[in-house]
This record gives sequence, C-alpha cells and structure tokens, in this order.
Amino acid sequence: MNDPSAPPQRPASGPRIGRVVVAMSGGADSSVAAALLHARGLEVVGATLHLWDASGAAKVGRCCAPEDREDARRVCDHLGIPHYVVDERALFRERVVDPFVAAYASGTTPAPCVACNQHVKLTRLVALADAFGATHVATGHYARIEYDADDQPRLLRGHDADKDQSYFLFGAPASVLGRLLFPLGDLTKDETRAEGRRLGVPNADKPDSQELCFVPDGDVGGFVEGQGASPQSGRIIDESGVALGQHGGVHRFTVGQRRGLGLAGGAPPRYVLRIVSDTGDVIVGADDALASSSLRARDVAWSAAAPSTPFEALVRVRHRHTPAAALVTPTPGGFEATFHVPQRALTPGQAAVVYRGEEVVAGGYIV
Amino acid sequence: MGLAPPIYLDHHAATPLAAAALRAMRESEADAWANPASVHAAGRRARALLEDARRAVAAAVGADAADLVFTSGGTEAVATAVLGAFAPGDVPAHVVTTAIEHPAVTESVARLVARGAAVTTLPVPGRAPPDPASLDAAIRPDTRLVALQWVNHETGLVFPVASYAAVCRARGVPLVVDASQAVGKVPVAVGTLGASAVAFAASKLGGPHGAGAVWIARDRTIWPVLAGGGQERGRRPGTPEVRAAVGFGAAARGVAARLDAMPRIATLRARLEAGLLVRGAVVNGFAPGVERVATVTNVAFEGLRGDVLVAALDLEGVCVSSGAACASGLPAPSPGVRALHPDAPWRAEGALRLSLGPESCDADVDAALSALDRVLARLGRGAISAS
Repeated sequence: MNDPSAPPQRPASGPRIGRVVVAMSGGADSSVAAALLHARGLEVVGATLHLWDASGAAKVGRCCAPEDREDARRVCDHLGIPHYVVDERALFRERVVDPFVAAYASGTTPAPCVACNQHVKLTRLVALADAFGATHVATGHYARIEYDADDQPRLLRGHDADKDQSYFLFGAPASVLGRLLFPLGDLTKDETRAEGRRLGVPNADKPDSQELCFVPDGDVGGFVEGQGASPQSGRIIDESGVALGQHGGVHRFTVGQRRGLGLAGGAPPRYVLRIVSDTGDVIVGADDALASSSLRARDVAWSAAAPSTPFEALVRVRHRHTPAAALVTPTPGGFEATFHVPQRALTPGQAAVVYRGEEVVAGGYIV
Repeated sequence: MGLAPPIYLDHHAATPLAAAALRAMRESEADAWANPASVHAAGRRARALLEDARRAVAAAVGADAADLVFTSGGTEAVATAVLGAFAPGDVPAHVVTTAIEHPAVTESVARLVARGAAVTTLPVPGRAPPDPASLDAAIRPDTRLVALQWVNHETGLVFPVASYAAVCRARGVPLVVDASQAVGKVPVAVGTLGASAVAFAASKLGGPHGAGAVWIARDRTIWPVLAGGGQERGRRPGTPEVRAAVGFGAAARGVAARLDAMPRIATLRARLEAGLLVRGAVVNGFAPGVERVATVTNVAFEGLRGDVLVAALDLEGVCVSSGAACASGLPAPSPGVRALHPDAPWRAEGALRLSLGPESCDADVDAALSALDRVLARLGRGAISAS
C-alpha cells in the first residue's frame, strides 16, 4: 500500500488534486477514505447523498437512515471538515428504484448498485465537485484508477479480490473517471479498519451493511409489491413443460434460486432456470441445467473504443463471482461472451463486466 | 473555510447574541443557578432575575408580565399554546392553520389531527396571506382553534394577525399566533392584539437558544404539555432556565433598537435583492403590495438546487440556508415555498434564504454576491454583468 502520510498531489498521474469531495454514507469505508485523504493534507469536504427515506424498523442502522447521516457528520466533525447532505431522492427513485421494480416485475434481476453508481452517485458527485470548486471526488469503493501512457484514466480492480467493487463502477466515462479517487483501492478491509483506528475514525468498526440500502429487511418481493407493481403470476413448470405448481408473481424469483419455490421436497433439488415474463412461467430444473457457456450483453459501455475483433478476457457475471475466462465478441451495441468453462446461473438483468487483467474494459447487462 | 470570519446572512435561523444579553447572562451566573421556586435567599435572588427578565420581555411585546410563561424556546411556546389549549382527552373537532407555517405550528397541529381533529389548511393565493374573509369562511361551528404565524420565517411575509384576531373573536374561536419571527421586525403589542395566545423565541431577537415565552390571554386556560411541578403558575412545569431567561430579557430591551434599524435593513435588502436578480434569481413569496419584513429574501435560480448552493456558498465563507434549519442536517424542498409557488416546484427545490440582522452591512452583501459569482461561474452561470 501507499504510505498514507506521503503528500502525493497527483494520483499516479492525471490532474493535480485540489479540494476533494468525499462521498460519505456513514459507513466505515467512506469514513476511512475521508480520513486518509485528510491525513495526506488534502482539503476534504464530506458529502452525503440522501437517496431514500428509510421507514419503520428499517430506520435504524441502514443507509440513508438518520443515524447514518449522523455518523457521517460525526466523522467530519472529528476531522474538522465541512459536511453537507444533498437530497437526491427524486433521482434515486427515477434511476434506481423504479427500474428495479420494473425489472423484477418483468422477471429479470436488476443490478441496482450498478445503476446507482452510474446514474446517481458518480454523476451527482462530480456535479457537486463542480459546484464546490473541487477537482476530485473520492469514494470508499475498493477499486483503483491508474493512468495509461496517454494519461487516460483506467478503472482497475481493487487490490483486495474479496472486497473488489469495480464491478459496480463500469461505464463511467473518462471525464468522470479522471475526477475519481479511491483511497481504499490498495487496502484490504482489515487494513481499512486498522487505518481507521489509527486515525481515530469514530465508526471504523461499524459493521458493513449487507442488504440493499432501500430494502434493508431483504424482502425484495414484498418491496416490489409495496411499490404498486402487479407482476405476472403463473405456473412453475419443468423443462419438459410439466406444471409442478403455481406462483403469485415472477418478481419473487431469480435464476439459480432454490428456496421459496413452494414445491414438494424430494431429490434432486430444483432451481429456477428461466423466467418467461409473458406467460409468467417459471421453469425449474436440476442444478447442472443452470450452467451456460455463453451470454449476450446489452447497453454495453466500453472503456475505450469498442474493439473490432474478438478477444480473450475475464468476465464477471455478478458481484463476488470470480471472473471467468471467455472469448468476448463485440456486437452492435453489446457483446457476446463464450466461457471456457460453463458458468452457473447467468441471470438476465445482472451486469456482465469484462476485465483484461485487472482493468475493466467493458460492462453491460445480461440479456 | 478560509481564515476570515464567515459572512453571516442567516439571521432568521439564529442571530448573534446581543452584547447586552451576553453581559447580562454572565453577570447573572452567580445567582441564576438557584431554584427560583425556593423560599430562601438564594432562591429569591434567582427569582428576582427571572421576574426582571419577564418584565423586560413583557414590555417588549406589550404584555402584562403575569401573562407570560417562559418556555425552552419558540417550539415549546407554540406547543404549549396549541396543544395546551385542550384538556387531556379533549379532542378538538376542527382546527385551522395555513400552508406556510413553521414546523412548530404544522407539527403541533398534526398532533391534534393524529388525535382525531379535522384541519383546514388555508392556502396563500397569489403569494399573499390568507384573506381574513377566507379565514372567516374556514371557521366552522365546531372549530376549536386557529393557529398561524405572524411573520413567515422563509419569505418574511407579514400576516394581518390583528384582522385574524378580530375574525376569531367574532366567531368565538381562540387564535394562537406564532410571533417567533415578528418581534424586533414589526411592532408587537399582544395586549391589544386580541389573540388567545402568542409564542415568542429569544434566539430570533438577540437572546440565547433555550429561551422562549408564550403569552396567554387572561380568559384562556392552558393545560401544561409536560407533567410536573406547578412552576409558571401551573402552566409550564420544570425549573425555568434562569440564565437563558436573563439573556432573553436583556435582548428584549433591545427590541426597540432593532425596530429602529428596519429602514436601514430594508435598504440593505433592496441592495441584496437587486444583486441577486441581476444574477438571474427570482424572489420567492413576493407579490407587489404584499408586506414583507425587511430582514429576509428568499430566492431561487432555475436549475440550481438550494441545498447545493448553500453548501457551495459555505465553502466560499458565506452562511445562508435553504429553508428552516433542521437538526438532522437533512435538506428537503421547502413546503412553504412550494405552497407559495405550486406551479413552479423548482422554486422550492432551489430556495435560498438570505436573512439580515442588526450587524449586517453593505460589505456583507457585496461579499456574499461576490461569493455567489464565483459559485455561479463554476456552474456555468456567469453573472449577468452586475453594476
């Protein structure tokens, strides 16, 4: 890792660092990120995007809960830096929550954290940096930015393979990437907490949040219904079309799911293989039927000009999936990936992110 | 964040402690600790301070001191007047308020609604206060209370409370007036106003936080909101904060001087507003011929968010606000500005409140406008060349 006490006024390269806006959720990672930059002698401004009103029991200890804003403010007070809360609830609903509900209602499995970073967090933070006269935006993501020979920013995996969050960050244009700093990119989670304790960060040992910030109880089905969606109900059938049961809505299923099918027990266990949103059919089958050797991705963003020829790369198909070797073939508006070894539960709606070595070169959504 | 002291243009949120208030509070420290309800010498000294403060506040608002109840601030004063108007278990059938009240009023009324009361919320048509005739029309046979403000905290709109009081007296309905932003900005004489209760806050007129008062008409009964001892003639339990009351009293003695400064502040506000307008702002809650207090302007720049501007200006060393300051640090579009401009939601999202106090001067206004120029330039909104 870098010596945090060193005063680098540039990242590895790229524009000189002036004032930095740090996105602060109130969690340990973003708090330590702010403290690390502050310890380097940079002028740091904390900003919390208020994205969602937690309600009921969910109010305690979850993202965007009043307690989290207080934690972020407490850390900034500790550092002696300003802290601002900016209301982005309308944008978050439009770009994250509504598409999330629509995706589940149509039988796909959305990637809300990707949408949030792409369409809400990074864009709004860069706009805030402009308003605040800041050169850079820092976040607590475990990812890295490096500059290539042409001084163009490249998004790389975080050093800690277990915490790497580059999957959520694909699609940021160079104009945004060049403004980003990831102070935790070279650290492991344990090192982050140790740095936090060293720097006296008040919430360095706060547990990570595990669930979606806007569905803190994990009941996605209930959330989608509560948002007024009326997803298609239908049959649960096997691969040969034999009806095994009925279900109340396609939003309660995701590819690879085993629990909650409401089928009589018995071996071998059955998994969701496919969801046909038109008919509401949920097709189930054995575990080995989940494996597929290829995927198509839509709405793809390339980090540079899209290559014209197929290339070998690693493709990650969900957060925490170990990127798998594949031949990636660019297509108009997307790509196809053919895996060397078939991958389990390729899920429509999830992001497929393409790595060359450590670098994120493309990302899109599984069709 | 520079070393220079910030330019402070947020006097409607809090205004600096008046020098006389600070001095009086310091001088009171040797005696103010005692319990003013105690019969002994120490208690007597604290009680003397408390009652002297009460007389000073009473004099500033044209009241009889015996009718003033000290509270912990404006919010508690309003709560005492609104919630305390009803005996425990007495659920009013109907109450009336307006669409641009401070949360102290809105949320106290909401408590009554939660208990089963119906509420009529008077709109502000044409960015003018509700017409007294519309108040008259809103009052029903079962209306038990009208609660509204004297001066709007966000835009400075002045409500014709004397006319409202006349309506309410004629209809036999108690009127609660939140005068938190009125004292020192418009002449206040509650003894002749005709309201049933009037709420005050020390921190809006040069006194400390932690002090407020509610004036209660002789013919009204107040049921204490808190349960406890019989302090404040049984209307507000708990030992009063004598030191804060002393500061309140000393600040109240400066109310006449604050009123005298209003013409100068009106000139300053005109300079500020002209500068904002030339930079592309619109003034929220303004209608020709409608009275506003001189201390505040509420503006919006189309396409720019108020919470972002407040933060950006803070980083330039200028303290302003986007609405009522909220303890959670959570900004949200102002419901009051939204009610004033229902057809232009961007005005509430962009609301920027700049408010002036007795110490404000031309240099403050000019510095704030320069800071705004720097922020607007960064946002690609170069100033229309200001004179």
